[in-house]
Amino acid sequence: MRGLSIVVRDMSKVLQIFSSRRTWAWPYIVFMALFVVLPLVLVGVYAFTDIDGQFTLRNFAKFFSHSEAIQTFFYSVMIAVLNTAICLLIGYPAAYIMAQEDFRTPKVMAMLFILPMWINFLLRTVATVELFNMCGLPLGEGALLFGLCYDYLPFMIYPIYNTLQKMDNSLVEAAQDLGANRWQSFWKVIVPMSMPGVYSGVVMVFMPTVSTFAIAELLTHNNIKLFGSLIQDYITTTDLLNYGAVLSLVLLIIIGLTSFFGDHDASGEEKGGMV
Amino acid sequence: MIKVKGERLKVKGERLKVKGLLGWIILSIFTFQFSICQAQSNLTYELRVGETGKAAVVDTFPGTYAGEKVNVSIQLSAISGQASDSLDFVFANRPMPELERWAEQVYAYTDSEGTEWTVWRKNDLPKNRKKRVLIQNAYGAFEQYLHATVDVQRSRGWIWWLFAGLMLLGTSIYGGYIIWERRKEKDLTPVEQETLRRKRMGMRRHYGSQLYLWLLLLVLYAPIALIAVFSFTESKILGNWTGFSMQLYANLFTGKADAGLNSAIWYTVVIALVAAVCSTILGTLAAIGIYNMRARQRKVVSLMNSVPMINPDIITGISLFLLFVALGVSQGLATVCIAHVVFCTPYVVLSVLPRLSRMNPNTYEAALDLGATPAQALRMVMLPELWPGMLSGFILALTLSVDDFGVTFFTKGSGGLETLSTFIYSDARKGGLTPELRPLFTIILLVMLTALIIINIRNNKQENN
Repeated sequence: MRGLSIVVRDMSKVLQIFSSRRTWAWPYIVFMALFVVLPLVLVGVYAFTDIDGQFTLRNFAKFFSHSEAIQTFFYSVMIAVLNTAICLLIGYPAAYIMAQEDFRTPKVMAMLFILPMWINFLLRTVATVELFNMCGLPLGEGALLFGLCYDYLPFMIYPIYNTLQKMDNSLVEAAQDLGANRWQSFWKVIVPMSMPGVYSGVVMVFMPTVSTFAIAELLTHNNIKLFGSLIQDYITTTDLLNYGAVLSLVLLIIIGLTSFFGDHDASGEEKGGMV
Repeated sequence: MIKVKGERLKVKGERLKVKGLLGWIILSIFTFQFSICQAQSNLTYELRVGETGKAAVVDTFPGTYAGEKVNVSIQLSAISGQASDSLDFVFANRPMPELERWAEQVYAYTDSEGTEWTVWRKNDLPKNRKKRVLIQNAYGAFEQYLHATVDVQRSRGWIWWLFAGLMLLGTSIYGGYIIWERRKEKDLTPVEQETLRRKRMGMRRHYGSQLYLWLLLLVLYAPIALIAVFSFTESKILGNWTGFSMQLYANLFTGKADAGLNSAIWYTVVIALVAAVCSTILGTLAAIGIYNMRARQRKVVSLMNSVPMINPDIITGISLFLLFVALGVSQGLATVCIAHVVFCTPYVVLSVLPRLSRMNPNTYEAALDLGATPAQALRMVMLPELWPGMLSGFILALTLSVDDFGVTFFTKGSGGLETLSTFIYSDARKGGLTPELRPLFTIILLVMLTALIIINIRNNKQENN
């Protein structure tokens, strides 16, 4: 920490010329403009140009007549929706139990669910493939869904657990005092109260799943190709880079729509407080 | 209030005891099923021969398990139903070989019609990890006449029987102990017995839901346990047990592991440290700046801050890739570091901001009024308040950087720079992982687990105090 403080001190000498602390964010804003905003704009620019840099719409025309790309796209969205639904079905009860149960060590339980994320996800995926082989199970859609669910389940459990834990338990008791049975109090009090967590969980699972690449290849021995792998194929081929940009733009639109429907402020905070 | 003699002691202990017994019973049923049922399994396959070509891929059977013995006998007969003969060979606990390495173990066989057949095991990694039995007509004729049966007999090694036996012993001792304890309850009065019964009812309600959590954890940890267990064997391929050995750990620490792996580890560490330090400095300054902004500016910058977090790594990676292509920058260590700073900094900002809002905003001004330079005020007033947030941001950045695959993949260029993630990816695509990865990640997991336990013990102590 000492070394760090010296670096910060030196930097702050440079910053002394600024009278207000507000300006301390400027380096970051410039950095972000250069490495976040500009690259995203470039994706759009590349999508609308050909190899020579001339404006063209041919890339989009190619996308709409390219049945493999369209089919892969819808297949990926379907897989992502399925995975999100499965994660929600498995994750919600887990988060609920964790928040309700009187564990002696609730924190440990929550940490145990995040701990696997410290093992590289590709290595975990390879191990999952090996596990399927050992059990004699076939690799395919089932393995793909299992692997995706396995990788992203913690992202679903944690936000829901957080909202459920922060929930005021006296509301449930009040509902029960007013004559609601357990089922009613669950559906009419607990579920609506936990919706912010569910939203951010859904966003946090759906977005990485719809854009996933590498995992699908490993889990299905290249039999199933998802949209992410398709983008990867095109973008790394120099001649087809512009077409790859179109595919990325399509993905970007999906991501934008998802974060528009999900509550992104909440998702940001949950993610930030996660580890 | 009814007070039961020794009630607290009983109810506390009972919860654990019954859970333990349940665990024992489930485990022993599992192991017995494993060691008994599988031992009897005879897998018989009809072998059909392809109509064209010499080789006929006949059928597959699942790979061997640790400690398992597999007997394969192949019976070949002409379809006309004349003479038949059998050929036996045994393989057990070998690393899964490529076809070439088995070339010397080809079995020649002549059937009643004088046609020579060759029989060998084929294993084409990584497309299909199931072992295959391949039967080929040496002269390329008579394919239609072949009718063969592979009889696969699998048996567990003695170690599974030992394990199952121990489980049974444990179950009976444990069960006996609990029954013995229950007998003592007869001495209690009816009222006390009723209270105890109710207490048990109350507890039992939760068993199902707790079991659900534990089952989920079991599934979640199964692949990781696989890595950890197989880090103690020398086998090249995950899933084949070739006896206990610490060789992989020795290789890892003496640098005898694959050169690519060693450089990948170093690059990962260097990139993670550079990215974490840069993003901590940048993010802390940005957080201070954002905190002091007016509401509208703050909203805009926060929105911009959340963009890299919302973006999936493939989008971040591709957009940066396009930027570097457009700028004509050759990609390598520097571009990877920049890319990592891009997606790490927002998390640092988010971990420092809550600290700032908890801090008294006037202390910094007071320090300035008392004659401190802004640098002194920053170092002596703000840093002590902010550093827990900075530290957690730093650790978060380290974790994110080490774990990242998507962004690194697109920004690493073609100069041969590999981090652990991309190394694992290219390794897995080539088929099979570098074995030293197993001990590496086992160690990482153990370190994390230890940290978790220490944090937990500390928390418990604090709560008790």
